[in-house]
Amino acid sequence: MMLSVRDLKVSFRTDDGLVRAIDGVSFDLEEGEILGVVGESGSGKTVSLLAVMGLITDPNAVIEGSIRYKGRELVGLPARELRRLRGNEIAMIFQDPMTALTPVYTIGWQIAEQIQAHQRVSRSAALDRVEELLAEVNFPNPREAMSRYPHQLSGGMRQRAVIAMALSCNPALLVADEPTTALDVTVQAGILDLVRKLRATHNSAVVFITHDMGVVSELADRVMVMYAGRIVERGSRSELFTDPSHPYTRALLGSIPPLTGDKPRRLPAIPGSPPSLLRLPKGCAFGPRCPVRYEACDAGKPDLVGASHAAACFRMAQA
Amino acid sequence: MSEQMTGTDQPILETRALSKRFAIGTRFSAEGRRVVHAVDNVSLTVRRGETVGLVGESGCGKSTLARCLVRLYDITDGQLLFDGDDITGKSLAELRPVRRRLQMVFQDPSASLNPRRRVGDLVAEPLRVHGKLTPAGIRERVAELFDLVGLLPDHVGRYPHEFSGGQRQRVGIARAIALNPDLVVLDEPVSALDVSVQAQIVNLLADLQDKLKLTYIFIAHDLSVVRQVSTRIAVMYLGSIVEEGPSEEVFSAPAHPYSQALISAVPVVETTPSGRRKRIILSGDVPSPLKPPSGCRFHPRCPVAQDRCRTERPALVEHKSGRKVACHFPTV
Repeated sequence: MMLSVRDLKVSFRTDDGLVRAIDGVSFDLEEGEILGVVGESGSGKTVSLLAVMGLITDPNAVIEGSIRYKGRELVGLPARELRRLRGNEIAMIFQDPMTALTPVYTIGWQIAEQIQAHQRVSRSAALDRVEELLAEVNFPNPREAMSRYPHQLSGGMRQRAVIAMALSCNPALLVADEPTTALDVTVQAGILDLVRKLRATHNSAVVFITHDMGVVSELADRVMVMYAGRIVERGSRSELFTDPSHPYTRALLGSIPPLTGDKPRRLPAIPGSPPSLLRLPKGCAFGPRCPVRYEACDAGKPDLVGASHAAACFRMAQA
Repeated sequence: MSEQMTGTDQPILETRALSKRFAIGTRFSAEGRRVVHAVDNVSLTVRRGETVGLVGESGCGKSTLARCLVRLYDITDGQLLFDGDDITGKSLAELRPVRRRLQMVFQDPSASLNPRRRVGDLVAEPLRVHGKLTPAGIRERVAELFDLVGLLPDHVGRYPHEFSGGQRQRVGIARAIALNPDLVVLDEPVSALDVSVQAQIVNLLADLQDKLKLTYIFIAHDLSVVRQVSTRIAVMYLGSIVEEGPSEEVFSAPAHPYSQALISAVPVVETTPSGRRKRIILSGDVPSPLKPPSGCRFHPRCPVAQDRCRTERPALVEHKSGRKVACHFPTV
């Protein structure tokens, strides 16, 4: 097992009281596996992965539970140790590539710096590696691109440059947080191809965070659906998409308009909106919007039930 | 003849070779003064009661076109006709009566609603500016509008920040329909919303269209949403329409190579484990509208481009009834 997260809880102390952003998340990741994490804004998909990366530095954050990477416990690890892992073993790409690139240096300079921070290589060897990497992420003219500044590149090229940077040390684990959300579909298709290629050539494990069910369905081996800080359903791609069992997953899939075939007169919409973490309902967080809610749903929070394909729903557990 | 003038055949909005150019830089900047052809020679007809979807990648000019259609931008070239009336060069004062009938909904409701005013006031504003209603009449109409868009009567006293994204977009829609417009231009109205909320707004827009006999121009980058709401779609590339036709036909059998690539690139949920759709991956990026390619503007990325495409620019021609394509080698 490459990554094993157990009962992860992340809370933030705020003026309005303690907010539990992540409430007992557990999952495993094998080598070479692509895990899709789906959820809406505020569902905790980003925060849970930031916790894994050790990137939650807010002094008001409380992180509990266990995160084991290749058998090593990451929770409570000193910042220096974590920094050695990040970039080298674990890499991350974000939604907005401009947050990962500095505007005042060229692309080539930035990627070479990242390589030299983690590996003992000469400047010229690092620059050769940059050229290789940029070619790998489909830059038509890598030498020329190295001398460009971020603002001279399009959004898709910037994201590819960030991916090249993330790949520079052949990470065993790549965490991608909505990397294609700001991009056009035609550019997105290219990036998704790149992620598949990375897995095929380096056997890297990938955690892909997105709100787009279509993207997950194209890319992921296994899928985890989050709602209000908890996992509501997880399973293999085919289990989740051919036989979704949690009412939220079903409703979410149902509310996506089809691209082919008959179009419904009205879309089956989910009433209401995702709850605020400050005012979570007493029982199941999805309860107030759920079409099959009954008394038991208000009593407590349902746990994930099932082995490979599991859902956190009282109604499904009972059936 | 008389039949053509009445009923659904009378176009509510028509553009004739409409262009919008922006000048950027000054003669002192490194590259001198340059001109961006944001919208280039667009002729589009919108009939009463239909929903025309505008799709294309970012930078293709769809939002600029939308802003030209409601005259938020001045039009550089060509003509814009609203209900048979040429409004291309009308002054702000002359536009006032047109604006009541021609409204717009923007992408980000938190940016288009004044955070310091109560939403009841925000919805009442167009009524005060344009209407001849008494204060009591305005209150009544606001209540009616809140009901129409699915907001509760006691929401009127709240501020925009007290609402969720979906509710804020409902406020934006209430404001746009307050004056009973004929045509509403919706620029990415659901893109900023959570997936589970998008469907509610899409349904609301459909209901309002039925009830109020509205005509929509719907812009979105999410193609499945566009397909759901549109009766006709126009695909834009680098400022021009490359394909136009009934939504069903364009989605099931796109004729322009660009439309084919665009539609094939949309990730869809596979509910059956069987074969994945064939995907056309375009090489390169959208060229800069400052230096558009010669000939067909799509030729550098086109998988079927030939010599002719490099020199001769294809016009948007009708191939079948209601189906226009700007390509030398369309697959119709």
